[in-house]
Amino acid sequence: MSVAADSCARAKKLILEALFVAVVGVVLGFTANTLSPRGLVLSRNYFPDGTNAAPQPPNATTSPRAATNSNSSAPYQTPIAVYNINGKGLQLIECNQASRLFHGRGWPGNLAVFIDARDEEHFLEGHIPGAYQFDPYHPEKHLPAVLPICTNAEQVVVYCTGGECEDSEFAAIQLRDAGISNQKLFVFTGGITEWTTNNLPLEIGVRGSGNPRKPSK
Amino acid sequence: MKPDPSSRTRKALEVATVLARWLLGALFLYMGLNKALHPVAFLKLLRQYEMLQSPMLLNSVAAVLPWFEVVCGLLLLAGVAVRGTALIVILMLVPMTLMVLDRALALQAAQAILFCAVKFDCGCGAGEVFICRKLFENCVLLTLSGWLLSGHGRKYCARYALR
Repeated sequence: MSVAADSCARAKKLILEALFVAVVGVVLGFTANTLSPRGLVLSRNYFPDGTNAAPQPPNATTSPRAATNSNSSAPYQTPIAVYNINGKGLQLIECNQASRLFHGRGWPGNLAVFIDARDEEHFLEGHIPGAYQFDPYHPEKHLPAVLPICTNAEQVVVYCTGGECEDSEFAAIQLRDAGISNQKLFVFTGGITEWTTNNLPLEIGVRGSGNPRKPSK
Repeated sequence: MKPDPSSRTRKALEVATVLARWLLGALFLYMGLNKALHPVAFLKLLRQYEMLQSPMLLNSVAAVLPWFEVVCGLLLLAGVAVRGTALIVILMLVPMTLMVLDRALALQAAQAILFCAVKFDCGCGAGEVFICRKLFENCVLLTLSGWLLSGHGRKYCARYALR
């Protein structure tokens, strides 16, 4: 056998071996993903852009601003700033507004619900007291519990880590797609980072654990 | 009788090559498992490269790639189909390195900082890293893979070649 033919055969053998490794790797990869409880659902769009939803102005009866007017003694005097996020038709609220909604939750006509769009690990590390967890990457796990609560709420405030985190937006879009009115959905983009920076209370562990982290002096 | 110096060198090289194979295998196993155990985090990082527009394609790559790396790592550790696996590793590392470089250049331009000061989580499985360190690491891994591809490191292999 000539040298050229020999090296050609060796190259062919190498390529076949690499192909075999690739096929085995891909098959095992899909199998492992299917069997893993943390596996991804291949057909799901995990990053809905929500651009199909037309931006809507906040409803006079359901916006946090309207809620503030329901009690004249409430410290809700500053107009609430509501913006559309990246044209996704979502409304944004700032930290002071979220804080006011949080502190006024017990008042009549102010039924605000906080939704934490982070994963379980981060949720347990500390969340806004009373917040419900809704991880948008595992909606099947949380949506059945969260949906009726959001349906009955007058304002739904969704947050995640803050900064570049988009999970609150994805969670809000999923809630909207599930039937929650866009007019009562608010995204708190500052998220838990801004919340803790402002020394606002946190609840450690599961929801209702009664294990608050008091604001530091 | 004095040992032949060339045979000693050959032996040392052989040992070094086996260690290199194990190192490469262990690294791929570690990096792959890190990503496989946090697929959503890897999916988010992969999305930042904006290379795959179709959700199905993006999900498939994010789901399969970590386990694929685990398989490659295990094959290298066990010494099975070493040259074929080394070729696959090179074929994965080259585009990945180029993608990381491209993103680092974009970040450098956006942040107006020195290239080596660019630090981000490239989705490689080791968290946030400085770009120069990452590129150096990848060059070392590519060199090791190339060395294995050239036919070295046959010792302690369960099945060096499949046939």
